[in-house]
Amino acid sequence: MTSVVYTLRTVPSGRHPPEGVLRIQRHPLKGDVTRRIVRDMSTAIRTAGLRKRYGRTVALDDLDLEVAPGEIHGFLGPNGAGKSTTIRILLGLARADDGTAEVLRADPWHDAASLHARLAYVPGDVTLWPNLSGGETIDLLARLRGYGRSSAYRRERDRLLHAFALDPRTKGRAYSKGNRQKVALVAAFACPADLLLLDEPTSGLDPLMEVVFQQELRRVHEHGTTVLLSSHILSEVEQLCDRVSLVRAGRVAETGTLDDLRQLTRTQVSFADTGAALPPLPGAHDVERSNGRVRFTVDSDDVASVLPTLGAARVTGLRVEPPSLEELFLRRYGERVDAGVGE
Amino acid sequence: MNVIGPLLRARLRRDAVQLTLWIACTLALAAAAVVGVRGQFPTVEDRQGLLAAAIANPVILLFRGLPSGSDEAAFTTFLIAPFLMLLAALMSTFLAVRHTRGDEETGRAELIAATPAGRSAALIATVGHGILADVVLGALVALAFLGFGYPARGSLVLGLSVTATGLVFFAVALVAAQVVRTSRVANAIGVWAVLIGLLVCGLGNALGTPSADLQRMRSAPLAWISPYGWAENVRAFDADDARPLLLSLALTVVCALVAFALHRSRDLGASLLPAPRGAAAAGRLLSGPLGLAWREGRGAVIGWTVGGLVVGLLATRLSSVIAQIGDTIPSVQAVLQALAAQGSLAQGAVEVFFTLAGILAACAGVQMIARLRQDEAAGLAEPLLAAAVSRSRWLGAGLALSAAAIIGVLGAAVVGAAVGLATTDGGDTSLLRDAVVSAGGQALAAAAIAVIAALAFVFVPRLAVLIGWAVVGVAAIVGLFGPLLGLPDAVVRASPLASVPVVSGDTVDPRGAVVWAIVVIVAGGAAVLGIRRREVVADR
Repeated sequence: MTSVVYTLRTVPSGRHPPEGVLRIQRHPLKGDVTRRIVRDMSTAIRTAGLRKRYGRTVALDDLDLEVAPGEIHGFLGPNGAGKSTTIRILLGLARADDGTAEVLRADPWHDAASLHARLAYVPGDVTLWPNLSGGETIDLLARLRGYGRSSAYRRERDRLLHAFALDPRTKGRAYSKGNRQKVALVAAFACPADLLLLDEPTSGLDPLMEVVFQQELRRVHEHGTTVLLSSHILSEVEQLCDRVSLVRAGRVAETGTLDDLRQLTRTQVSFADTGAALPPLPGAHDVERSNGRVRFTVDSDDVASVLPTLGAARVTGLRVEPPSLEELFLRRYGERVDAGVGE
Repeated sequence: MNVIGPLLRARLRRDAVQLTLWIACTLALAAAAVVGVRGQFPTVEDRQGLLAAAIANPVILLFRGLPSGSDEAAFTTFLIAPFLMLLAALMSTFLAVRHTRGDEETGRAELIAATPAGRSAALIATVGHGILADVVLGALVALAFLGFGYPARGSLVLGLSVTATGLVFFAVALVAAQVVRTSRVANAIGVWAVLIGLLVCGLGNALGTPSADLQRMRSAPLAWISPYGWAENVRAFDADDARPLLLSLALTVVCALVAFALHRSRDLGASLLPAPRGAAAAGRLLSGPLGLAWREGRGAVIGWTVGGLVVGLLATRLSSVIAQIGDTIPSVQAVLQALAAQGSLAQGAVEVFFTLAGILAACAGVQMIARLRQDEAAGLAEPLLAAAVSRSRWLGAGLALSAAAIIGVLGAAVVGAAVGLATTDGGDTSLLRDAVVSAGGQALAAAAIAVIAALAFVFVPRLAVLIGWAVVGVAAIVGLFGPLLGLPDAVVRASPLASVPVVSGDTVDPRGAVVWAIVVIVAGGAAVLGIRRREVVADR
């Protein structure tokens, strides 16, 4: 990805004028140019050697995470891997036993209040004050972050209420799971933020609202907001995220762009089985003949080397399938993943 | 298919610890009363003296039972029965709401209703559970008194009256749970009914007709509109006449039928009174943790403040009643003169009532701190702390509202006292000075209790609610009844409610003011510093 960086003069906007950098990036494949104002800092989130235990349970074990400014960073891992604990530490709701955490160049534990004016958080299981209406809750959260009185905020809030089809007059106790989630999402998107911490934010949302969520996330991304997105909806992560980190047992097992991760995983190749003897397949692993097809896997950067052989053998019904994120996920975490998974 | 059995067992299992503790505390109170009476009032003369003083002083009767002679068992019943009934009533109220509206609110009722149990089995099981709890409590109270060597018939009648009172308020709470949408409101209605019933009965007894020898009192008709009045008029260990309990039984049955009728006619989760719609946007006040705390706690604060107003009004209004009785009955006059040697009786009344107002203020103050913890446990601290609110500001809002509630309750008590004086012919205006001094002292006491709750909230969050209410309860019992239970002075003074400034004669006795002020400052400071180092502890 090529990127040209121009320094920009300070632009006052909102309470926290970004001491900004204009980053213009050209997408290598699509060729479209994006312009983002991002804060001039090396990382938006950086943790080093985070450790946290609850009694005998080790929640985090030497977790290193880096999120670059302006990116949407996917945060993946099975239940109990430590994703929520990490986010709680990044919010200063819990304190690490060891290691360091830095969010927007601030210490999340000591500078929590001032830091939180610049970020928004959406948990996966939203609790609302039972006797406050959704509209009141959204306004309260906005005011706590220092917005909420401007007409710009009101316009944005009304637009989001409409987009998410949310009735603001229902009391907190009466909302369904999905609607509670929407209240938190509207509150998070209604005010400008430098960073969004999203912990499975779309759990309980219907597919229509999932689309609205993705639109809104892209919108704030365009404006330079950094996003840490913990999610189990892998298609969502695949579509939205610039980079992902895979967490396992309290540490980041892998981190990189999706392409980077795919390189680490073999690509699955299959073609119609005519019953004839197989040609020699350089670099092929796990060759298997079943259900009228020949399947094997090959290192993702080795795919090209096997194609001439297949061409010479004039195979039919050729399929070359780079691993989906789901496959990556299952390969990393599944106890035993059958060869056919993901097909 | 028997579905009631499993539901009933599940209820017993869920409440096992809670009900055991509750019943054990009730029995401990009963035992303490017997031991206290035997220690403090061993002879008939001692008991006759106290009865005469109590009958002469309606303030005492307001918080005691119905005087029914100087026999030791009847005398103990006079002193402690209303509190045993109060504990039974509160236990039953919370039990009723917990297993009906509480379960509906959390969605558990839906899970049960989706099984063959259907919608009504849960309510039937709850009724069975409530009856069982109250019968066990009454039986154990009877056994306890029997164990102390009191007559069997009287023990049985006393146990029955405790059970009957518990059941009445159990049924009232069942109705409340059908009428309103949330368990918080249903509990509030139930507790108000319990307290108003106690107050009405106390007033009815205080305004009754004493016998010539000042050993017995006939309740005024007012007492007969309260379930406590029925239960006290059985006169356990004296007349042993259980017939008034038929009224309790009748009211219980009527309320239970109403509850079942309401339950049958409504949807699961719905209520007779519709849930109001909320505002589309937040009002001006709702813009920070303090505004939020006020929004959440205002109903409770207003309730406690009304309580303070009533108590303040009684503090000065009742002293005129005392004077009237003294004028008409010579034997009362003699007792009054004896009591007045240690300071004016009206002054004593103000002190007692303002101690009561102090308990209300402490309840209000602790409730505001307990709310912090309940919100935190429910996961509601996170959205605040994730939104530019520091921990100290979060606790600060709770402490500020707690202080405001305490000042509100005692301020209302002073206003009530002033109104009481202004509407009494020839009221002694110096009583207002006594009221102001007592209110200030009690505010200090309530603040000390609330700050201890805050300290628990910071350092042992999971136990904070329990500790907060336990401190209120112990301070109230020790402060109000310590001398009666024969506790040493040092123990009584450990209750802030009993060791803050009062007016004695014409001088202000500061008592433990300095100590409690130091407690407030040190514990408050420790809490504010400690919260900065504490993580959020949700229960989920």
